[in-house]
Amino acid sequence: MGDKRKMFIYGGIIGLIGAILLKFGNPGNMGICVACFYRDIAGALGLHRAEIVQYIRPEIIGFIFGAFLISVVKGDFKSRGGSSPLIRFFLGFFLVIGALVFLGCPLRLILRLGNGDLNAITGLLGYLVGIFIGVQFLKKGYTLGRSTDQPKISGYVMPIVAVALLLLLIAKPEFIFFSAEGPGSMRAPILLSLVLGMIVGIVLQKSRICTAGAFRDVILIKDYHFFWGILGILVVNFIANIILNFDAFKLGFEGQPVAHADHLWNIIGMVLTGICSVLLGGCPVRQTILASEGDADAGITVLGITVGAAFAHNFGLASSPKGVTNNGKIAVIIGIIVVLIIAYSVVKEANKARNQKKESVKNA
Amino acid sequence: MEDTYCVVTFQVTQHALIFEKAMKNMKYAVKLMPVPRQVSSSCGTAAKIPCEKKKEILNLCEKENLPIEGFYKIDHKKKKSWF
Repeated sequence: MGDKRKMFIYGGIIGLIGAILLKFGNPGNMGICVACFYRDIAGALGLHRAEIVQYIRPEIIGFIFGAFLISVVKGDFKSRGGSSPLIRFFLGFFLVIGALVFLGCPLRLILRLGNGDLNAITGLLGYLVGIFIGVQFLKKGYTLGRSTDQPKISGYVMPIVAVALLLLLIAKPEFIFFSAEGPGSMRAPILLSLVLGMIVGIVLQKSRICTAGAFRDVILIKDYHFFWGILGILVVNFIANIILNFDAFKLGFEGQPVAHADHLWNIIGMVLTGICSVLLGGCPVRQTILASEGDADAGITVLGITVGAAFAHNFGLASSPKGVTNNGKIAVIIGIIVVLIIAYSVVKEANKARNQKKESVKNA
Repeated sequence: MEDTYCVVTFQVTQHALIFEKAMKNMKYAVKLMPVPRQVSSSCGTAAKIPCEKKKEILNLCEKENLPIEGFYKIDHKKKKSWF
């Protein structure tokens, strides 16, 4: 079977699962949303107190279990890390702020589009602009440095965290918050979410599908390998929604679930998310998968995403169906400036080091 | 896609672009692509090159100080496993 078709099918499985989870109770056009789900988990743990978005999403636990297990079985699991962890933390932090101003990670963006939400098109436009900006830094020599081997236990941290989250989900001690209304109260059954999440984790670990990587490769090296996976998610999700969620399918900009139609800020929010995703080498779902196969740098990124999501609600940065907040607008602008400064500094230093090396070779 | 081909991997994306330019200058057939799944579970950029030019290319990289990470021969088996 050709690689393209294989990637399309892998992507299609993700799109299908997105539609199934929507059918079985997840919030509108949010069969899967990695940014929202970390936000819900942050809320459940009490890191923010936005009462309508608090729940330990079993899908995230499933992603981690699935990717961890398949990576161990297939020999991909390797404990590694040490590549600019603090920078990654803040890139993850700002990535999710951009995503929560738009209201969705890039994966939910595709699923929103697959259920007729045309605001996803403006979001996608912003995401592509962000990726294009990020790619310019890659061309100039941007790198966060090489990761190195870490103690084995480092690689097991994320899977252990996932086990802890699962226990908290099942036991639900009194210090854990679950929404009684709003998106946080809309949930597919735990076991279904967990199992389908595991399948997503396995498929994404095997296929390496990443929304940022796909568009980056199209822009940077004109390669469509991963893009076929993205297309698979969109096409199959669209078809599955027509069959499974026909009542929820609605084409247009206005009145879409957990979305707003502020075009400008949908674009600018996703510009920030796009830049951060390229600078991190992957979108939130990809970071989750990498974190599950022993990559501590991706683990730090996931923590940055979770903390960023908590701040987004504590500081009133996250949008709502009512629209974008002023705080959110300011935060996105600050975010874009901060990540551009980070990228510029890294590139400048990398080129300096390269020129010095060239000089020393010349003089040798 | 052919059954067997070779790829060069890089630590930094920019190195792949520099490498591609150098290969094009030498008129070698080169194509940038995602790192093959067989090599890594990461999703960086690699350069596909003809295996028979391995020696010349590695010599050139050393001479021109082109930073590369690894050189791999990929057996693209016809009967592929999904898992």
